[in-house]
Amino acid sequence: MSKKSTRSTKLKADPDAVTQQQVACATKKVFYISEKLLDAKDAKDDQRLCLEHFYHPGKARPALFVTLREHAIMEVLEYAEPRRSWLMNSEVCSNGRTYMTTPIDATLLALHHLRRHCSQRAMSLDNISVDEPDASTHRLLTKFVRADGLKCVADVKKSGDLIFYKYNSDRALAWLALKTRQVVLVLKAKQVHCGLGAKSENYVRSEKLVEENDVNEMDYMRMACDYVGRYLDADLHAELTRYLHIPSEIQALVEEKANTQKRKSQQDAAGANSKKIKLGNGKEDAASQLRKSSLLDNDDIKEESNKSPSTPVPLKERSMSAKEKALAKGAKGSKSISSFFKVK
Amino acid sequence: MSITLDFDVKQLANKRQLELHYLPAKINGDGECANVDKYFNNYTREASDYGTGVLTNALRGYPLLGKREAVPKGYKGVVLQETDPHQAQRQLRLTGTFEEFTYWNYDKVPSKGDGYQQAMTMLQVAEALAAPIGEAELEEELKRQQQAKKENL
Repeated sequence: MSKKSTRSTKLKADPDAVTQQQVACATKKVFYISEKLLDAKDAKDDQRLCLEHFYHPGKARPALFVTLREHAIMEVLEYAEPRRSWLMNSEVCSNGRTYMTTPIDATLLALHHLRRHCSQRAMSLDNISVDEPDASTHRLLTKFVRADGLKCVADVKKSGDLIFYKYNSDRALAWLALKTRQVVLVLKAKQVHCGLGAKSENYVRSEKLVEENDVNEMDYMRMACDYVGRYLDADLHAELTRYLHIPSEIQALVEEKANTQKRKSQQDAAGANSKKIKLGNGKEDAASQLRKSSLLDNDDIKEESNKSPSTPVPLKERSMSAKEKALAKGAKGSKSISSFFKVK
Repeated sequence: MSITLDFDVKQLANKRQLELHYLPAKINGDGECANVDKYFNNYTREASDYGTGVLTNALRGYPLLGKREAVPKGYKGVVLQETDPHQAQRQLRLTGTFEEFTYWNYDKVPSKGDGYQQAMTMLQVAEALAAPIGEAELEEELKRQQQAKKENL
């Protein structure tokens, strides 16, 4: 009895303690913060970093960005793996995510608003955000978007103090194309695998293979374009893909196939001296050899031939070697091994 | 609707360094746990069979292979903690900083193939995307584009 009572009291006491601990610690987060945001030199006054939501065109919904007062903005990326957690000193943190602040060109975020409002007429940045229900657009356009960035995607008209912008799609696409090429350079430098299919990093590839398959300009281009496209409206991404003349992945697959076939036929033409794999044309295949050796029962053969009438057993070809004959003699009267495994 | 990261930049320098382990396991629970030094760090061994700098340990009998990883260059590793998520003005407080941590893998040697390593290359890609583009370059590209159009016509 006494044992039972202690157990029940324990149970009552425990859950409270657990929940209390969770409230205190469940919200720890690991951040990589760019040192550009942490420059201690001009940290004279109360300079706090802020996490704010701004509309993200690629996601078509607000996403998290980190801002430093009124002059710096960075994107907050999250790295999450299904089963990860942190151990900090002697504390467990079940949130195995890593948050990173990555630089972003605010012009990319402004593009969405420019295309929506300024494709027909020139507008000042103040007026663009008037219709928006959310104050974040106003803050984004007036505080974080740089004039020299906007110049690259829009026509600028000045009238006194006011500056008006009109979206210019030619300039925007050219600008995005240049951005894409910058990304391509990094992908190449980092040797990111951009081709079709997955590839293991664990195997050392032969140098020849690297030369043949890995340097495919278009694959890098497509990857970079897709990466840039993550910050664009879907239709603008499609425009960029057309602008850069990137064939769709399916098209590329078809071409690749055609190419390999071509390669094969070239090989056939050129490589008469190439090694051929021996096929079972001169001799019988393993199954008929087994049959020949008469280790199988006769009714087994019948059954098999019934099952697959399209491939009749080449009975005619039976010619026993001396060894097989001896084997057959020894096996006479004994049961075939396969008869033990039959379904009864 | 903003969350303040409530710490001073100057604080970062003299904040205590945390010893971090990135474990390949989902743990249901947070907070203070058993003596990590005694039951975990104590068993960390160098395993030169797998390569230089590879460490071994075990978590609940499951073998782990690990490596010391530095926080990517140009970044500062910090641990933040939210005090009260129900407040209107949300705040994240600084718990500690770190420059290195131990990355643990279950069953495979940490390599470039790990998701974490690949995510780190994305930092550089993001930088490339954010790099500004000069006026001259843009004009050149526009000219090229117009020429290509003319040729097609």
